[in-house]
Amino acid sequence: MTTLHVIAHSPFGDERLASCLRLLGTDDALLLCGDAVYALRSGSEPHRQLQAAGLAQRLFALDEDVQARAVGNDLAKAVDYAGFVELSLHYDKVNSWL
Amino acid sequence: MAKSLLIISRQAPWNGPSAREALDIALAGGAFDLPLGMLFLDDGVFQLAPGQQPTAVQQKNLAANLQALPMFGVEELFACSHSLTRRGLAADTLALPVQVLDDAALAALIARFDQVVTL
Amino acid sequence: MKFAIAVFSPAHAPSSRRALRYAEAVLAGGHEIARLFFYQDGVHSASANVVAPQDELDVAGQWRTFIETHQLDAVVCIAAALRRGVLDEAEANRYQRPAVNLPKPWELSGLGQLHEAAQVADRLVCFGGD
Repeated sequence: MTTLHVIAHSPFGDERLASCLRLLGTDDALLLCGDAVYALRSGSEPHRQLQAAGLAQRLFALDEDVQARAVGNDLAKAVDYAGFVELSLHYDKVNSWL
Repeated sequence: MAKSLLIISRQAPWNGPSAREALDIALAGGAFDLPLGMLFLDDGVFQLAPGQQPTAVQQKNLAANLQALPMFGVEELFACSHSLTRRGLAADTLALPVQVLDDAALAALIARFDQVVTL
Repeated sequence: MKFAIAVFSPAHAPSSRRALRYAEAVLAGGHEIARLFFYQDGVHSASANVVAPQDELDVAGQWRTFIETHQLDAVVCIAAALRRGVLDEAEANRYQRPAVNLPKPWELSGLGQLHEAAQVADRLVCFGGD
């Protein structure tokens, strides 16, 4: 079964993103929201990790959080809340990294 | 058929009630006979360290509750190999009998459960 | 489809607001919310004693309105709530505490309600953290 992983914590000084990338299945997806969208900042270490993970169409970000933080976003597909709900149903389960 | 739930516990034991409250989800589900698994990940593996003395910080012994998991029907217990190694914990000294899994096995484990929550 | 939504953060945390916006989108998408469950610091999202500054978003108030408007089942974990001082009238009386901060529509109950919701729902979605 596929999983949509959701991370809301900043990747700096926090292990969630690194651990999630280690455990991510080949058909799983990752949605970044809240401070986790700082991982999309180009030139940053987590941005490089996300690129290296080669998630392509399986990386998403909550658009409002990207806009609020002005991180720029050349990696993730931006979604609104309706899109978040759709993703939750597209994947078999949602694993939030609280 | 009842949906299975994997609880991923990644909180160190004496950092507030988080670790205990993650465990309480497992114990409550076990009491209802639900198919549950528990995975210790990141700092969560510190819950499994041997010889802890929580009375030194006036806390109840979490290990006693952890040991109750199999009695509550939560028999699928796992720990992340990477997290243990990184923290200098040896798999054969842990306070609870857990299956130690590498990253690929953990991905398969998460895929197997109907629902997952990471606390 | 049926959703069980669990909130693990207080009203002032961004994730409580995010959970609320998500819950609204679930209903707007024509889906159903089987239950809202508030656990850990999420019990503070249910507190009636939260006073948001006038020029700031009142997330606790919005939760209350949302739950009342849609007549949703909103359960607060009793053990987590007692530990954090979120009490309904019965518990305030039982423990002889001076204030009640959990009136209707919220209901105090056990963790079994989270499991039951997860069993009947097609998706369990949890919100917490930053």
